[in-house]
Amino acid sequence: MAAPDLLDPKSATHNTKPRLSFSTKPITLTPREESEVVATVMKWKTVSAIFLLVVLYLVMGAAVFRTLEQPHESAQRLAILSQKLEFLSRHTCVNQSQLEELVKQVVSAVRSGVNPAGTLTNHSSLWDLNSAFFFAGTVITTIGFGNISPHTEGGRIFCIIYALLGIPLFGFLLAGVGDQLGTIFGKGIARVEKMFVHWNISQTKIRVISTLLFVLFGCLLFVALPAAIFKYIEGWSALESLYFVVITLTTIGFGDFVAGGSEIEYLDYYKPIVWFWILVGLAYFAAILSMIGDWLRVISKRTKEEVGEIRAHAAEWTANVSAEFKETRRRVSVEIYDKFQRATSIKRKLSTDLGFSPTPEFTLSKRAVSVNFNDERDRKEKEAGLQGLTTPLAKNGSLLINGLDPERGDFTIIEHLK
Amino acid sequence: MHSAGRSWLLLTGFVLFYVIYLLFGALVFSSIERPVEDKLRHDMETLKQEFLNLSCVNPASLERFLVQVLAANKYGVSVLRNSSATSNWDLASSMFFANTLVTTVGYGHTTPLSDTGKAFSIVYALLGVPFTMLVLTACVQRLMYPLVLAPVGLLQRSGMEPRSATAVHFLLLLLMVVLCFLLAPAAIFSLLEVSWSFLDGVYFCFISLCTIGLGDFVPGTQPGQQYRPLYQVSVMVYLFVGLMMMFLLLHTFHKMADLHGLTTFLQLPHCEETDEDREPIVDNKLEEESSYPSDKAASKPLEPGSQPSYNTINKG
Repeated sequence: MAAPDLLDPKSATHNTKPRLSFSTKPITLTPREESEVVATVMKWKTVSAIFLLVVLYLVMGAAVFRTLEQPHESAQRLAILSQKLEFLSRHTCVNQSQLEELVKQVVSAVRSGVNPAGTLTNHSSLWDLNSAFFFAGTVITTIGFGNISPHTEGGRIFCIIYALLGIPLFGFLLAGVGDQLGTIFGKGIARVEKMFVHWNISQTKIRVISTLLFVLFGCLLFVALPAAIFKYIEGWSALESLYFVVITLTTIGFGDFVAGGSEIEYLDYYKPIVWFWILVGLAYFAAILSMIGDWLRVISKRTKEEVGEIRAHAAEWTANVSAEFKETRRRVSVEIYDKFQRATSIKRKLSTDLGFSPTPEFTLSKRAVSVNFNDERDRKEKEAGLQGLTTPLAKNGSLLINGLDPERGDFTIIEHLK
Repeated sequence: MHSAGRSWLLLTGFVLFYVIYLLFGALVFSSIERPVEDKLRHDMETLKQEFLNLSCVNPASLERFLVQVLAANKYGVSVLRNSSATSNWDLASSMFFANTLVTTVGYGHTTPLSDTGKAFSIVYALLGVPFTMLVLTACVQRLMYPLVLAPVGLLQRSGMEPRSATAVHFLLLLLMVVLCFLLAPAAIFSLLEVSWSFLDGVYFCFISLCTIGLGDFVPGTQPGQQYRPLYQVSVMVYLFVGLMMMFLLLHTFHKMADLHGLTTFLQLPHCEETDEDREPIVDNKLEEESSYPSDKAASKPLEPGSQPSYNTINKG
C-alpha cells in the first residue's frame, strides 16, 4: 500500500484528504456499525497493547530528556545562585528577604506579561489590538503559546467561551484550506506526472516520487523559508528557528520562542503575515502528520500481516513435520510388524523343512533366520536395487558376529526375507 | 464547475468570518485586560523605586540582576530560597513534559534548554504526535460501541426517530463529559493547589483538554508539593483520558452533523469514507472471521483463522 492519495484531484474535492487529524477533527476512521459483533476480550487486549506501547514511548522520551536536560538545569541553577550571592555581597544594604520579595513580585509580574526589566514608560502593551489579535489566533488554533495569557476572571471566562466556539470554526477553516492546498498540489503533481508517463516509470514509483516532491516542496515553502526569515528578523539560531517552526505548526506551542514576542521593533505587517503563515502551515503539517499516521498504520498492519503469515507458516511447517513423523512412525511400525510376521512364518516353514534334514543344526538354522531386521539396512538394499545381492561383508558380517559362517555350510542365506 | 466555484466561495466566506471573529476577540481581550496590565506596570515601577530608595543598589546593577533572574525563570529555574530541592527534569517531570509534547498541549513551564534537547524534541514530536493521535483514535473507535452506538440503538428501539435520538444522546454525552472531566477535576485541583480558585481549575481543565495549553496554570509545580511524581502522573492520565473523551465528543458531533445534513450543506468532509478508511486501525475483520466457538486459537487476533489444514492434523 503506497502513501495515501493526497494528490488525486478527484478525491480532493469531495473528501477526506488531506486528513486533518489533530486538535480539531479526529482521523476519520469509523468501524462498520452494522456488524460490531466483536468479542470484548480481543479488542481490549490489542488496545491495551497499543497503550503499553505509548507508555513505553513516553518513558523512553522522559529518560532521554532527563539525561539531556538535567545537567543544563543544574548549571543554570548554580549560575543564578552565585549571581544572587554576588549581588547580595556587593550591595550589603540589601538583605536576603527583601531581595526574595522583589524577585517574587518581579516573577509574578512577568507571568502577567509585564517585564520590569528595562524602562517601563514607553513600553508597548501586550494587549494592544495587534497582539490581542495574535493571542486570539493562538487560542483558536490551539497552539497556546502562553507568553500572553488573560489574568482577570472576566478574561478567563471569555477565553473559555471564545475557544469553545472558535476551535470548531477554525477546524472547518483548516479543512477548507487543506482541501484547496491539496487540489493545488494535486494539479501541479498531475502535470508533473504527465511528464513522467513519457519515461515509462511504474505507477507506484510515480506516486512515491510525487509524495516526496510534495513533502520537499512544502518543507521548503512552509518550514525552511520561514525559519530563515525568523532567524534573520528575530535573531535566533538556525536550530531555534526550526524548533519554533515545528513546535508551532504541530500546535504544541511552548512559548519559549514566539515570533513577534520579543522587544524588537517589528514592521507593521509582520504579525499578520506570521498569522497567515501559521494558517497555511498548519494545513500542510496536518497533511504531513496524517501521512505519517497512515504510514504507521500501514506498517502496523503489514507487520501484523507478516507476523500472521510467519505464524501461519510456522504452524503449518510444524504441523507438516509432526504429521510426517507420525506417518513415518506408523509406517515403520507396520513394516516391523510385517517383517516380524514373515519372519515367524518363515521360521515355521524352515523348521518343518529342516525337520527332514539330518543335520544337527537345528539351532543353527534357527539362528540363520535371525538376520537382523534392520530397516535401514533393508532399505539401503532396496535402494541399491539389489534384491538379495548384498555385500558379503554386510550380510555375512552380521552373521559372522552371530557366530555363523556360511562357508562352513552352516546355513543357507535366505534371500527373500523382504 | 459550479461546485468548485461554490467551494471557493464558501472558503472565502469562512476566512472572512474567521478574521472578523479574531478581530472581535481581540477587541474584547484588549478592553478587559489592558487596564489590569497598566495597573500592574505601575505597581512594578513603584516597587522598583522603593527598593532602590531603601538600598545602595544602583539601577543598572538591579536591571542586570533582574534580567538574569528572569532568563533563568523562563526555563523554570527559580532563584527563591525554598525551591532548590526539586528538579524540573526528574523522571516524572520529564515524562510529564514528554506527554505535553506528544499530546500537543505544550504548557511551556519547562522547555528544553540544550540544543540537543531542542533537536530531540523536534524529532520526538514529529513521530509522537501522529502516534498519539492514532492511539487516541483507536481508543475512540473502541469506545464508540459501548458509549455511542449501543445507547443510540437503545433510544431508537424505545421509539425515537434516528435524528432526535442522536441529538439527545449527544447532549447527554456532553453533559456527562462536562461533569466528569471539567467540573469534578476542577474542584479537585482547587482543593489540591493552594492558589487556585474553582474558576482557575475550570479554566485550566478546559485549556488543557482543548490542547491549547497556555501554561499559566500547571498543576504540581508549586515548590514543596507533596507526592509530586504521583501527582504529575495522575494529571497525565487525566489529560490522556480527557483528550480521548474530547475526541469521542467531536466524532459523535461529526456523525450527528452528517446525519442532519450539515456537512453536505457546508461541503465539509463526511464521516463516511472509502473502504480503505473503513478498516479500523486495529483489525476487526480477522476477529470476526475466526469465530469458531471451540477453537481457542481464534481468540488471538493475529492467528489467521483461515487455515483449516493444520487444525485437522492436530485433531488427527
